Amino acid sequence: MKCYRVNALLMKYLYISLNRFDRIFDLFYWPLLDFFIWGFMTMYIQKVSDLNLISFIFGGIILWIFVWRAAQDMVVYVLEDKWSRNVYNLFCSPMMLKELTISIILLGLIRSFIVFIFLSIIAFIIYKFTILTVGILILGFFVLILSIFAWAVGLFISGLIMRYGYRIQVLAWSVVWIIQPFSCVFYPLSALPAWAQPISRMLPTTYVFEGMRSVLSGETLPILITPLISSIVFFILAAIFFHRSVEKAKKKGLLAKNE
Amino acid sequence: MYAIQVRNLMKSFKQKKKIVEAVKGISFSVKKGEILGFLGPNGAGKSTTINMLTGLVTPDAGEIKILGLDPIRNWELVRNSTNVATAYEHLSDVLTVKQNLKVYAKLYGVKNYNEKIQEVTDLFKVNHILNRRANKLSSGEHTRMILAKSFLNDPKVIFMDECTVGLDPDVAEHTRQIILDYNRDRGCSILFTSHYMYEVEELCKKVVFMENGKIVKIGTPKDIKKTMTNQTIELDVVRNRPKLMSLLKNKGINFMCLDKNLISFQIDSKEHNLQNILNVITNNKISFKDIHIKKPTLDDFFIKLARKKRTKRK
Repeated sequence: MKCYRVNALLMKYLYISLNRFDRIFDLFYWPLLDFFIWGFMTMYIQKVSDLNLISFIFGGIILWIFVWRAAQDMVVYVLEDKWSRNVYNLFCSPMMLKELTISIILLGLIRSFIVFIFLSIIAFIIYKFTILTVGILILGFFVLILSIFAWAVGLFISGLIMRYGYRIQVLAWSVVWIIQPFSCVFYPLSALPAWAQPISRMLPTTYVFEGMRSVLSGETLPILITPLISSIVFFILAAIFFHRSVEKAKKKGLLAKNE
Repeated sequence: MYAIQVRNLMKSFKQKKKIVEAVKGISFSVKKGEILGFLGPNGAGKSTTINMLTGLVTPDAGEIKILGLDPIRNWELVRNSTNVATAYEHLSDVLTVKQNLKVYAKLYGVKNYNEKIQEVTDLFKVNHILNRRANKLSSGEHTRMILAKSFLNDPKVIFMDECTVGLDPDVAEHTRQIILDYNRDRGCSILFTSHYMYEVEELCKKVVFMENGKIVKIGTPKDIKKTMTNQTIELDVVRNRPKLMSLLKNKGINFMCLDKNLISFQIDSKEHNLQNILNVITNNKISFKDIHIKKPTLDDFFIKLARKKRTKRK
């Protein structure tokens, strides 16, 4: 693996982001919209009841960014090469699959951090909420688990796209939103119906948001080693799946056909 | 020493529950410094072969060696010494020509890449469109950008798959000259596919003809043309045109009236002697003011293969 090739791929993603207004717009528009809708609703709920939801909701929105942006951006930038018919030349170059994997992971991380910083500032200015109240170390730990899980989701969908082509590109935008309701981003696990709780328990994201609510409520943070390990396991499985999907695409000749 | 060695290469694809054998155990080699014409009708298996050589398609069986190395085991070494140019595949559409070349120069680990980009863009005359986005280029400009990319890493082997499509005759000739110069000066080996037989004759000393996944002919363009025994004769007849038509008909020679005087017919030198036919024509007082004899070309060989394939399909 060579760092200069990872750099080259990151440079390509940077150029795409700079040359396409929609890629920058997309970075801020939806999270901001989400922020305002949930923010105003939370303020209304607070007015009509005694519930203090602000920190739970904003904490959820800000941390969810690491799953949403990372997973979605990884897939969209893989698709970008397919849309451009650039896959042929890219895969004929000395680029290795692990270099591509690392570059899309870094891209997802960079874009997530940009939105994270942006939303954190907005939350502080408008709602006087700061995510740092959970503590830097704990926040770092949450971000780590969520990011690893997001990379797993991103690699899994990228693998599906490599294997099945454009037919399933809609997954790039939809899979994250299928995971969200089961991740207990805005409500506790106990609020879910009985049939949904086992699904939630399988997701490392659930433990992070449950943990966040515990910390924000002044309770002690439950041990999050199991979700960290399960995130890593998901990531390893997704990386293997991505690798095998590319191999399968090479066997079927899909990379050359750009399907 | 060989730049490319292929032994018993095979590839089949599953298409609608049917197994299609795209490449059926072909073997060929390209010497160092050689430009090999890799020809055949659409669907003959050329692109699948090139895709296997470039690592985009995994072969079912067979052996590939590039610069004496196994391209899978020596991925980096082989990729850094080779490049690909095909007019049908793009670089990133959203990036400008310069940005694309910069990305690829970095991917290929080109040192002093700004100078190299300047050199290749000067060579292929794309320096005036460096800041234009790839999706705003004409097809000719796009092809030249792809060619510029393929020269970025000073490759020892280049796979050129119909890389002159979309170029106007002037630029196409300039491009062929660049390819020849590069081949001569750097000893670069090139696997060259094209549907323009005149450029194959101009560039390649050796050609391989593929048909239906198999190699049907390997040789110099001259040798391959020699195997074609037919020649086309065009006569500008002044007198006794109907007589000529009935004579040809009697001898079982197919003919075509191109205009009111011009008659074209094709003879197979195995069956008919041109001298004898001309004697018969003059003896029958058929006079003509001009005669044009067309020797067989690579195009004729190509057309013969393509028609054979179509007939088989029917």
